[in-house]
Amino acid sequence: MLASIIASGLAVGAVYALIGVTYNTMFSASRVMSFTAGQLGMLGGVFGSLFVLRLGLPLVVGLVLMLVCCAIVGLITEFIAVRPVLKSLDQHLYVLSTLALALMIQQVVAVEWSTEPQAFPRVFGTGAGGILDEKFWLPVLTCAVTICALELLYRRTLTGLSFLAIAEDNFAARALGLPERNLRMASYALAGMIGGLAGFSGGQLLLAFVANGPLLNFYGFVPVALGGLGNNRGAIVGGFALGLFQQAANFLVGGIFSSVAVFMLFIAVLLAAPRGLFGGHLARRV
Amino acid sequence: MPISVAEPLLDIHGLEAGYGKIAVLHGVDMTIGAGEVVTLLGPNGAGKTTLLRAISGLLPWNAGGVAFAGLNLAGIGPRETARRGLAHVIEGHRIFTNQTVTDNLLLAGYDVPRAERDARVDEALSYFPEIAAKRYDRGSTLSGGQQQMLAVAQGLVRQPKLLMLDEPSAGLSPVLVDRVLAVVTKLQKTGTAVLLVEQLIEKALAVANRVYALAQGKIVLQASTDEADLPRRLEHAYFGSEAA
Amino acid sequence: MAISSESAAGTMQEKSLAGTGSWMFSGPLIMIFCLAALVPFVTNDYWVLIATRAAIYWVLVGALNLVIGFAGQLAIGYVALLTLGAYTTSVLVAGNVSPPVPVFGALAIAGVAGAIFGVIVGLPALRLRTFYFAISTLGFATIITQIALAWQSVTGGGIGLPGPEMPAPFHTHAGFYFLCLTAAGLITWMTANIAHSRFGRGLIAVRDADVAAEATGIRKARLLMTIFVFTGASAAIAGGLFAALQTYITPDAFTFDLSVLFFISVLIGGRGSILGPLLGTVILTLLPEFAAPLAAWSTFLYAVLLLVIVLVAPGGIAALLDFGNRRVLRANRTIVPKAALVGHLLATDKAKSGIALRGVVLSFLGVRAIDGVDLDVEAGKIHGLIGPNGSGKTTILNVISGFYGPEAGSIALGGEALKPGDSESRASQGIARTFQTPRIVGEASVLQNVMIGGTIRGQSTFVESLFCLPRHRGDERTLRSEAMTALSAVGLESLADIRADRLQHSELRFMEIARACMARPAFILLDEPAAGLSADEILRLGQFLKAISRQGTGVLLVEHHADLIFDICDYVTVLNLGRVLAQGTPAEIRVHKEVISAYLGG
Repeated sequence: MLASIIASGLAVGAVYALIGVTYNTMFSASRVMSFTAGQLGMLGGVFGSLFVLRLGLPLVVGLVLMLVCCAIVGLITEFIAVRPVLKSLDQHLYVLSTLALALMIQQVVAVEWSTEPQAFPRVFGTGAGGILDEKFWLPVLTCAVTICALELLYRRTLTGLSFLAIAEDNFAARALGLPERNLRMASYALAGMIGGLAGFSGGQLLLAFVANGPLLNFYGFVPVALGGLGNNRGAIVGGFALGLFQQAANFLVGGIFSSVAVFMLFIAVLLAAPRGLFGGHLARRV
Repeated sequence: MPISVAEPLLDIHGLEAGYGKIAVLHGVDMTIGAGEVVTLLGPNGAGKTTLLRAISGLLPWNAGGVAFAGLNLAGIGPRETARRGLAHVIEGHRIFTNQTVTDNLLLAGYDVPRAERDARVDEALSYFPEIAAKRYDRGSTLSGGQQQMLAVAQGLVRQPKLLMLDEPSAGLSPVLVDRVLAVVTKLQKTGTAVLLVEQLIEKALAVANRVYALAQGKIVLQASTDEADLPRRLEHAYFGSEAA
Repeated sequence: MAISSESAAGTMQEKSLAGTGSWMFSGPLIMIFCLAALVPFVTNDYWVLIATRAAIYWVLVGALNLVIGFAGQLAIGYVALLTLGAYTTSVLVAGNVSPPVPVFGALAIAGVAGAIFGVIVGLPALRLRTFYFAISTLGFATIITQIALAWQSVTGGGIGLPGPEMPAPFHTHAGFYFLCLTAAGLITWMTANIAHSRFGRGLIAVRDADVAAEATGIRKARLLMTIFVFTGASAAIAGGLFAALQTYITPDAFTFDLSVLFFISVLIGGRGSILGPLLGTVILTLLPEFAAPLAAWSTFLYAVLLLVIVLVAPGGIAALLDFGNRRVLRANRTIVPKAALVGHLLATDKAKSGIALRGVVLSFLGVRAIDGVDLDVEAGKIHGLIGPNGSGKTTILNVISGFYGPEAGSIALGGEALKPGDSESRASQGIARTFQTPRIVGEASVLQNVMIGGTIRGQSTFVESLFCLPRHRGDERTLRSEAMTALSAVGLESLADIRADRLQHSELRFMEIARACMARPAFILLDEPAAGLSADEILRLGQFLKAISRQGTGVLLVEHHADLIFDICDYVTVLNLGRVLAQGTPAEIRVHKEVISAYLGG
């Protein structure tokens, strides 16, 4: 039983962590937290199921198409919901504009796809059943690969360094002549792909289900709140911790109260450590 | 009247700019010739930083115009002005503290062809041996003075035609100020024009050819630095409402 | 019976009139409720049901309006509290966990439960930015449906349970409708009372100028908690009524789409308005009835509406209806303060001794912004604080007004230590201030902005204001007349009803000074009040500040304009690199060699 708690905890934790990274990637580029982060996770599952099961495309093609589509959704987020409100960040209009876009995405999926959970294709088809099932290890593997790729990007490439630069000091980066707008768009496309990967790798676990959108919006934000805004390592640790906590609570006190437990944990952390357990940004006000 | 400048590198006329409802610059006129070092002085709140931001495209302007190397800069952002050879080192040595010295300089050379980048970084570092020695250290480990040197070095990576320095001496010890300002003199020998915003009048005047004073968003004085009663005129321009 | 309910709603509207005093405000509201009361007499049961639903939604949205429209807290998951109220009422009436409870008792208990959960969900709003609160309400909405589904023994799980049956005379469609309409009228009246009280103004100050709100002594945490209690209770009672309307409830009835309807009603209605969100609720409730083929896409439409509102018309319906502010204002207005009125403004009951800073140290990221500063501000004197950028002038104001606690050193007022970092207590201790960039509520009128400054002088409690009791009315009368005096004194009385964001920059500076005077402070801290003013306005500002100091009020003036400083100050402190470079009279400072070189930068 412990093994299955750990297996499923790590698996959902990996999905939450990736959604957390999606939030962070958007935030770093623009100081904006977007409600489309969770929807991207939902879309990863829906696009995967659409391309591979419904349209019968080969898995790799489906994966690539899914990544392209999610990157486009990321770009749309930047263009429609973020760029117009960047000038007045202090009014927090992004909360509403990204929420509006998220609702639109969700409604399109509900009407054009389905309001019921749909099956998601098996990626490798190995180790069916038991705790070695791909639905448990695939999200963890995806999470690990994504993190390694991001680390390489941020450390080894000038583009990655530029991402970090605009995250640290947007004004200085612009003064230096960095193409801030292009970098922001690239960040949103990247965030779109990370969110898509979260939903795709967790497809066996969460299915292609429209209701995953708001669910992932919340459970994916908890690691961000735990780890501190913009802190990817914090989000990863927070994501796995949340997954394990949720599955353990599920087993110990049952489904009703595990979600209550997660919610209370979230509120408690926000009150006790508003910058997250690993620190993070909190702007000077005066 | 300015010393005759055949083809001004930078030509500002009637520039008005501000933040939202607050107008800061009320019609600024200024020219800088190629290879000329110009110091911009003025009390706090006069609009010096605003002027620099408006020139480099960080702040849109409301009226007037700026031409750089014969090109109208209207509506052009900081990336384009930087590409055309106008480097702006902003106030407060805002380098990227989480990245190494080399990475900071590589970022400054974002648009420089890849093959040239390393050479440019080395060249910029050659002006500042003390940070060249720390090239693999993170920006946060540098002292304030070293961070300022790094910020100036970032401006040099572009090999600009005009380098704008916004209060490079702020918060620095006198020795370090001399080190930074010595670079201005060196740059002038390579034909780079410099627009220097400074609080330390005497030091700034020592390295400059000409001086402008800005007060309440207007140029209240311009002179060659070798004019005789400059300090008295400056004091007038600052404290009295009667512009010299 | 129907008629008696109707007249009940009528009397309430009359009281609302008394509370707010303006036909422009209450006329349209009264008209809407009169029309609503006619619905059962001119239409069939189907439309009565729709109207009942709109009334129930308004019970929730009307209260939520205070959270979203006034306090600016983006509560996107309030369907959770509707759900909570619906299930609590239904379960209690059905007797699943206890002996059956009468409907109105169950509604009351649901209200208490809603109040408690309203506070829990609202807790993150006290410390964190809006997105966190949005997410926490979203999270609450997500889990409460999961609980309703999973807790089968009590909620009936996916099968659901019957809603409460209303006792006579509310068991008929019309009877129930008038009950709900009465509740809706009551909510309108109560929220209107709050809107026109220091609590309502405090909420919009927290929304648009939270730093200024703290400096005027608005206790943000307490105020928000009170609002969350009120809104949670109202939302849960709306839930109970909703369950009675549905006759049978399942978790499916409480989709997130409902939440969307609620908060979008407020936003398309317009922030800080009551009429706008009311119209918004009615329109959004009726919309699917008129556009049946679009029903499946209704949420999409709402979302598009939301995006349009945010990006194109942030004022919503309320801004469209705000004819008063269409009037074109004369450009290039000059301000002429009447220094003679200052005497009426600043009473004399204040501590005569000064503010004293001793050895104050504060660093940001390892850099000492102020490094051992001693400073004395005396009552009745103007003390100028000058120095180069980054020398620590504004930081000193922030330390005095409690936005930062110093690392070392002490701040005392009249010999008693001021609690470090407690910005909300400064106003009541007699310290008011203005800001480098005016911190104002752009969408509120100039008069309301100035009245915000008098928050600490209000006497009535939240409940007294809610029900428009005498103390509340007295408060309003006093504050209003004092605010008008303050506006006359700074020369802005002709603009009292204008939206503050239409003012010129220089007018905003004087408006902030008027706001600061409303607290009857013993000391006023001014952060660059002359920035952006014309030369004439600076002269008048100087005279006005002198008049303030003659009333015994101490003025600490941070300023770049050297001529103003030397003209009006009794004493000048020069800062450089966080330390005091020189202190003395203007005459001494003007010839001080070091100052000249530091100020000029030599």
